[in-house]
Formats: sequence, C-alpha cells, structure tokens
Amino acid sequence: MISLYNILLISFCVQPPGENYANPRICFFHVLFKAGALAFYILSALFSDSFVIIFVVTVLLAALDFWVVKNVSGRILVGLRWWNEIDDNGESVWKFECLDQESLARMNKKDSWLFWWTLYLTAVVWIFFGIFSLIRFQADYLLVVGVCLTLSIANIVGFTKCRKDAKKQIQQFASQTIANRFTSTIQSAFSVV
Amino acid sequence: MAHDERDTVPLHHSSQSDIDEIENLITASAQFVPSTVQPASIPVSTSPFIPSNLPAPPSKPAYVPPAPSPPPNPNRNANLGHPQPSLSGFGPPANTLTEPVWETVKRDLSRIVSNLKLVVFPNPNREDPGKALRDWDLWGPFFFIVFLGLTLSWSASVEKSEVFAVAFGLLAAGAVILTLNVLLLGGHIIFFQSLSLLGYCLFPLDLGALICMLKDNVVMKMVVVCVTLAWSSWAAYPFISTAVNPRRKALALYPVLLMYVSVSFLIIAIN
Repeated sequence: MISLYNILLISFCVQPPGENYANPRICFFHVLFKAGALAFYILSALFSDSFVIIFVVTVLLAALDFWVVKNVSGRILVGLRWWNEIDDNGESVWKFECLDQESLARMNKKDSWLFWWTLYLTAVVWIFFGIFSLIRFQADYLLVVGVCLTLSIANIVGFTKCRKDAKKQIQQFASQTIANRFTSTIQSAFSVV
Repeated sequence: MAHDERDTVPLHHSSQSDIDEIENLITASAQFVPSTVQPASIPVSTSPFIPSNLPAPPSKPAYVPPAPSPPPNPNRNANLGHPQPSLSGFGPPANTLTEPVWETVKRDLSRIVSNLKLVVFPNPNREDPGKALRDWDLWGPFFFIVFLGLTLSWSASVEKSEVFAVAFGLLAAGAVILTLNVLLLGGHIIFFQSLSLLGYCLFPLDLGALICMLKDNVVMKMVVVCVTLAWSSWAAYPFISTAVNPRRKALALYPVLLMYVSVSFLIIAIN
C-alpha cells in the first residue's frame, strides 16, 4: 500500500528522502484507511448498486482514518496534536501541541514527508470525485464525498495550524536564547573592561 | 590596553566561541525545554473534565519502531517523563503526546459512554447543563445517526437507499440548522457542543427504531415511538432552554421537537 502511494507521488515528480521509515506500521495504517476509503468508493461506484453500503463503509473508513491521523500518526510521525477544549467560562479553546525541539528535530524525514503528502493528496482526490459527481448530478454520491472531504480538511487545517504554532515557538525560543546570550556577552565584555 | 587586546584578537575567535556556546546552550536546554516550551503552547488549565482513567506517565508506545532507529522513542519518553512543575500534578496534555494507542482508544470510548450517561439518563449534573457536556465529542452522534439510518433502511422494503440518505441528511443538516437557530436567537452555546448534544439525544429514538424493526405491530410501534420521543425531548430540554433567553425558550425548543417528531413519523411509517 505504501509503495503504491510512493509510486503515485513519484509520478508527480516528488522525491521521498532517502532514509527508511522509522515507524512502518504507523505509516501503513496512516495510508491504509485513506486508500481503503478511496478504493472502496471507486470500485463500488463502478460495480455495486447499493448506495447504503457504499455510504456507510466509505464514511466509516474515512472516520477511522480521521481518528487514526488525529490521534496516532499525527503524534508519532510528526509529533503534533490538536484538540478543542471548553474552559471554565464556557468558551471553546483550540489547543495545539507539539513535542520539544530536540524530539522534533529527530523525527524521521521520510515519515513526515509521507504524512504531509498523503494528507494533501487525499483531499485533492476527494475534490476530483466531488466534481465528477457534481457533473453527473448525483446528489447522494456528492453527500459521501462531502463528508469525506470535510474530515480530510479538518485534519489538514488542524495539523497545519499546529505546525505553524510549532515553528513560531522554535523561532521564539531561538531568538530568546540568542538574545540572552547576547546580553550576557555584552555584560561580560563590560565587566572585563 | 584591553581595547587593543580585543581589537587585535581575530574576530572569528570570539564569535566562533559564541556560536559554539549558543549551540551548546540550545542542545543543553533542549533537555529543559519541556518545562518552558510546552506551557507556552498550552494555557495552564488543569482540564478537570478529562476522565480519570488517564494513563500514568508515559509507557512505551504500542507500536515499537524497528531496531535501526531506537533513539526517538526512549528520548521522547525520557523528555516528557519529567515532572511538569507548572502543569497539574499528572500533566495530562504533555502525556497524551506519547501515550500508547490503546490508551487513546479507551479514553475516547469512555468519553462516549460518559457523555451518553450525562445527556440521556437522569443524573445530578443535568442541573448545570453547561458543565455536563463540557467534554463533547462527535463520535457518539456519528454512530447514532448512522445506526438510525441503517435501522430505517433495513426496515424499509423498498427504496432503501433513499430512506438512508434522507434519514442521514435530515438528521445531519437538521442538527446544524438547529444549532444555528439557537445561536441566531442570541443563545450561548458552542457549535460543536450543540451538535454533540442533538446527536446524543437521538439515542432513545435509536432504541425505538430498533424495537420497531423487530416487532411489526402498529399499536406497539406507536406506543414505543411516543415513549422514546418523550425521552429524547426530555433529554434535550435543559440544554437548549438554559442556552437562550427565557422569553425565547419556545422559539429554540420548537424546531428541536419538530425534528424529533418528524424522525418518529419516519420510524412509524416505515414498513
């Protein structure tokens, strides 16, 4: 499954980094439910008549994929996590969380490459299917595509915000460290003089 | 004299040592980062509503990576295993990044069960509806809507796909529109919390639909559906009514009841 996705991505002239996967099982599950939902949708739309089965199975696979990406592969492949909490005032707060800098730097590049590329690619493919069913005026298939697309986009938005948050923190931390270092250097310079 | 010393010493010597020191500082204080970086990203909230079966400080993740790359796992565990002085004693947000997969599954499942108990069954927390559904989730509503659609579709002898699509579309779109209705009436409710609530209140109707599917007696169907409809409405009432201005309670409640009544008609009419 992963090699199929690799072939697809390489055909778009996207090169994976040379090292090996650090968490092959997690990568496998990350790709499994996405590819399963897409494959089931395509094959059953061609061969099956029962819309109910198509809907339930596709949406179930998409929901499982959402859960796996949000809770498992996001944590383990790229060290990011996002969720929503309601604080004591009754306001809803979106929380974004990342691992510390050292662990982030140690993340396997190939893992995170696969993570981000499959995330975006799946959403693009669902958009294509949505356009197809729109052209054919199939409202019920559009419903399926709509649900799956919503789930993909929710994950994309959550993790992109998380990554921006993490980058901002790294910059803040680095600039703070350099500023501290700078002031202490100046202080030591003046104390010597 | 000190000036001359400083000028004649090649510039790169001091700057090189500075660069070295910065690097050392970054790598050294990365060890201490957990106590500085993470509180910055997570507002200090003790999250009292997370269920108590929270995992202890992180154990090894369920999926062990192959031998060639051991460093990331133990280090991740070691870094985040430090006691967090600025978070609450168990530091739940930090630990959820490295908890094993089974813990996440169990946590989510127990959240669904506890939300169901809070919303649908009588319990003291219903006095304070704002607190009751603090820990909303959408998995319960998703399963209940799909189950209702499947049950209705199974009971139908013709046009099964249309029945399912109609049931699912009606419930999903209905939940969104009802939430917007409450918000537009000036109510104080959070979008996802309301969706979650309306989904969980479908549980009695799910049971009703299941019973109607098993037994095909019209009178019994009507009785069962009336009972479950009353139960659903009773479950939804406190949450919706406390969210809006008392003078607009009826305006907010009426569409909710209407939706549940139409679903009940669908259950009775299917044969």
